[in-house]
Amino acid sequence: MSISATPRRHPADEAHPLEFAAHEFMALLSGALYWPVESTLLVADLHLEKMSSYAPAGQFLPPYDTGATLEYLSADLAFTGAGRVACLGDSFHRDEGPSTLLDRDRAALVQLMTGRDWTWIAGNHDPAPHGLGGECRDALEVDGLRLSHEPDPKRTRQIAGHLHPAARVKLNGRSTRRPCFAWDDARLILPAYGVATGSLNVLGPGFAGLFTLHRLNVLMLGRDRLYPVARRHLVDG
Amino acid sequence: MLEAARAGESVLLIAPTGAGKTLAGFLPSLDALIERPREGLHTLYLSPLKALAVDVTRNLTGPIADMGLSIRVETRTGDTPTHRKQRQRYDPPHMLMTTPEQLALLLSHADAARLFGSLKCVVLDELHALITSKRGDLMALGLARLARLAPDLTVSGLSATVAQPEMLADWIGAPAPARKVRLIRASGGAPPIVEILESQTRVPWAGHSASYAIPELYATIKGHKTSLLFVNTRSQAELVFQLLWDANEDNLAIALHHGSLDVAQRRKVEAAMVAGKLRAVVATSTLDLGIDWGDVDLVIQIGAPKGASRLMQRIGRSNHRLDEPSKALLVPANRFEVLECEAAKQAVAENAQDSPDPIEGGLDVLAQHVLGMACAAPFDAGALYTEITTAWPYRELSRSLFDRVVDFVATGGYALRAYERYARLRKTTEGLWRIANSRVARQYRLNVGTIVEEPMVKVRLVRGRGHRTGATTGPISRTGRVLGEMEEYFFTTLAPGDTFLFGGEIVAFEAMRDNEAYVSRSSAPDPEIPSYMGGKFPLSTYLAERVRRTLASPGEWRLLPDQVREWLELQRDVSTLPGTESLLVETFPRAEKFYLVCYPFEGRLAHQTLGMLLTRRLERMRARPLGFVASEYALAVWCAADLNFMVAQNRLSLDALFDQDMLGDDLETWLTESALMRRTFRNCAIISGLIERRHPGREKTGRQITMSSDLIYDVLYQHEPDHVLIQATRCDAARGLLDIARLGDCLKRIRRHIVHKPLDRISPLAVPVMLEIGKEPIFGEGRESVMAEAADELLKEASGKR
Repeated sequence: MSISATPRRHPADEAHPLEFAAHEFMALLSGALYWPVESTLLVADLHLEKMSSYAPAGQFLPPYDTGATLEYLSADLAFTGAGRVACLGDSFHRDEGPSTLLDRDRAALVQLMTGRDWTWIAGNHDPAPHGLGGECRDALEVDGLRLSHEPDPKRTRQIAGHLHPAARVKLNGRSTRRPCFAWDDARLILPAYGVATGSLNVLGPGFAGLFTLHRLNVLMLGRDRLYPVARRHLVDG
Repeated sequence: MLEAARAGESVLLIAPTGAGKTLAGFLPSLDALIERPREGLHTLYLSPLKALAVDVTRNLTGPIADMGLSIRVETRTGDTPTHRKQRQRYDPPHMLMTTPEQLALLLSHADAARLFGSLKCVVLDELHALITSKRGDLMALGLARLARLAPDLTVSGLSATVAQPEMLADWIGAPAPARKVRLIRASGGAPPIVEILESQTRVPWAGHSASYAIPELYATIKGHKTSLLFVNTRSQAELVFQLLWDANEDNLAIALHHGSLDVAQRRKVEAAMVAGKLRAVVATSTLDLGIDWGDVDLVIQIGAPKGASRLMQRIGRSNHRLDEPSKALLVPANRFEVLECEAAKQAVAENAQDSPDPIEGGLDVLAQHVLGMACAAPFDAGALYTEITTAWPYRELSRSLFDRVVDFVATGGYALRAYERYARLRKTTEGLWRIANSRVARQYRLNVGTIVEEPMVKVRLVRGRGHRTGATTGPISRTGRVLGEMEEYFFTTLAPGDTFLFGGEIVAFEAMRDNEAYVSRSSAPDPEIPSYMGGKFPLSTYLAERVRRTLASPGEWRLLPDQVREWLELQRDVSTLPGTESLLVETFPRAEKFYLVCYPFEGRLAHQTLGMLLTRRLERMRARPLGFVASEYALAVWCAADLNFMVAQNRLSLDALFDQDMLGDDLETWLTESALMRRTFRNCAIISGLIERRHPGREKTGRQITMSSDLIYDVLYQHEPDHVLIQATRCDAARGLLDIARLGDCLKRIRRHIVHKPLDRISPLAVPVMLEIGKEPIFGEGRESVMAEAADELLKEASGKR
């Protein structure tokens, strides 16, 4: 994995339409996907409490990642007015995450959840259910689409996370690499939402066999807007 | 020296390299130990190089044994076996030869007070080299502790000639202000003979290889017994060595010595050199310090000397007989370097020194030291603060900043108190800080030191996937031979298909897999991506001034070779010459782009920073900048908009463009995203102990550290930008990689003194920097615009306009 070169900025007031499996979505600059018809906000790989997970071993990394990720989420919810939230797994960096939340972060999370239909889908980092509220489950079906953490090459009509997709665009000798939404006719993979997450190139081995390459769409997260980029301008690395 | 020692004074001995000053440093100790034999550690010798500690031990034990003295001399380095290290702590020799890192380790043990209580003398070797690095910070802090443990301690500092010896005397005297420091200057012997290679062939406009001079160089080597050839970078060393071997018809013994060669290989070269078996060694700064090299009768500096003091220290590596002059030959690699060599030659003749001053103490090193002191014994914050301010680099440290560093060590130092229950340091009921458990001490000992290795990756040659046909996916074969190692950082800047020079051939980058970089042979005639990153040392301000003066005074041009003089005369005719107190800015069109070339002469680092900031401003002024390239002398920026026209229409003001205020908000915004800040942060994070170098049993690979430190930096910078570690990073970056102070001085000097020369075409003076395009890293900052262009294309395609 490697890291996006530029810290992502908010707010969410820049959105880009995204059509997948005959449904209309709005891709947000933060990496969230809004589904207006369902009033549902989809986010993947929040990795909350990632920095603090090193503290027991004596490494005190900045404890600001959880708060920052929740601030983004709060802005996206305010912008979209979503009544329902589905977190597509790896919401916490490890199963202990819900218990290490600082009071202020826990309060912020509770406030976001209040009055909303909230689903925590289990991920490989946080397989165990927890008691934070909302519903903990392995996957979710919404309007014929399956929402899960890991993509399944055998299914179609699925939205997943897990892989932290990024793309590198190369044009006229210059190149830049950013997290992205990546989809073809069968599946849509969301970028990792958490501020402390790295990324993998969609053309790299991590995505092997997942996309029909000539049908691959990529929407890159820029500094102030999202950029749809053609497959022929993408390179690995 | 004996006189000073008998008077109980410390000493700073300034002498040219190889004047036998190292052994002189031990005279007082030998004298004392012969007069009054005793047990316990008496003298500690600290050197920046393990090899030097070993060599000095050898040079001392011989005479001691010959005289039948019962004085024990031992070394202690990373290579010393564990059992001997342990024995040295309870049964120390009279004299211990070691490094600053080993001293820090010894001081972190509970028995440090007993071990060092008997210490009478510390000898600090190659002090001029240590005081400009973080290792010097570490040593200064160790010295402050030693001075407290051993109140009678005297210090003998040994240094090459420096610009400000008084400052160095203060440095070594700071821990014991009551003790006098006697400054002793050894005479330099006969002044060196410095010549500049007068080539019969054309000196190239640009480049760093000096390949034009190889036949003359080879002849010179043949004419001398042993030559030492200094170059500024590793890749230069490789290239010059290769070229010399190609010309080596007589099979002369010519060797190569630089930092990425295998240690065993380097030792072999050094041994052959001492034994007088080599005719020439091509070396980088790895040989700037170190043990004496038999009979070197000529020092050759290839490429710019960068600084007068540096050059004199290098020249000092030859001919250690003081009555005979050392001989040096300067070989400029391009035309600007002819001017720099001339300036350096004059500076040597005048014995003008421009060595850098000691640096101010880093907060990351301080954090490491505070943890080490807690490992030794619980400490009182007030007492430790007082002790630390007796270390010269920390003499101006405020109590509040010190307290923040202690807080950082204890729980991370965050405004958000998240880690109290995991604290590494806890306060005892008596109000002392102690380590929370023994694991903390173990971790400290594994992380000690200030040298952070760049993470390296293996470069493996594989069969290509055929990028020329556009195939960028599919399996790559994983078998192939390893070509060598290269900084991992370099590969993060590459996209698959990019070509670069490695091990003498042009290769294409294929992929990064499992900590290896896969490359394939390329048929490209020129590498796209330059791997020459310039030397570590920028052109000294002093030499830069001299070069500017030479340019502005045609009367001095008679000293220059004809071709260089003609070049300057042409510049005077078609444009104008840069003045001493003004800045010449030329603008001209070329191949559908519009160039701005300026000549600040402030060194590559300062020019890179200027380039980053100028492109930001040009973007705002709608000049559509596309990229820039910086050399030691000049900066070229190219734009899509017609700069001549914009200036003529008053739509672009050069005074506003070069206004000092760019060091405010523009700098800040750029720093947020700068890769240089991230790299600097990684070093600070490792030295301070935020990120661990290695763990018992689960060693992190360099690659893992790099990626996590980038994320940590992003999160920390955004949420607590005044955190003590960001502060440390900022100081380091401003001083090292960005050279901001120097750029600031330059902008101030040229304020309202900009001489603009709109031209129809490139000027003679601009040719060298323009030729660097494609050879030097180019900084295209408009990264967002790459995506925007690609997105626009897609839109056109979708709307059928393509």
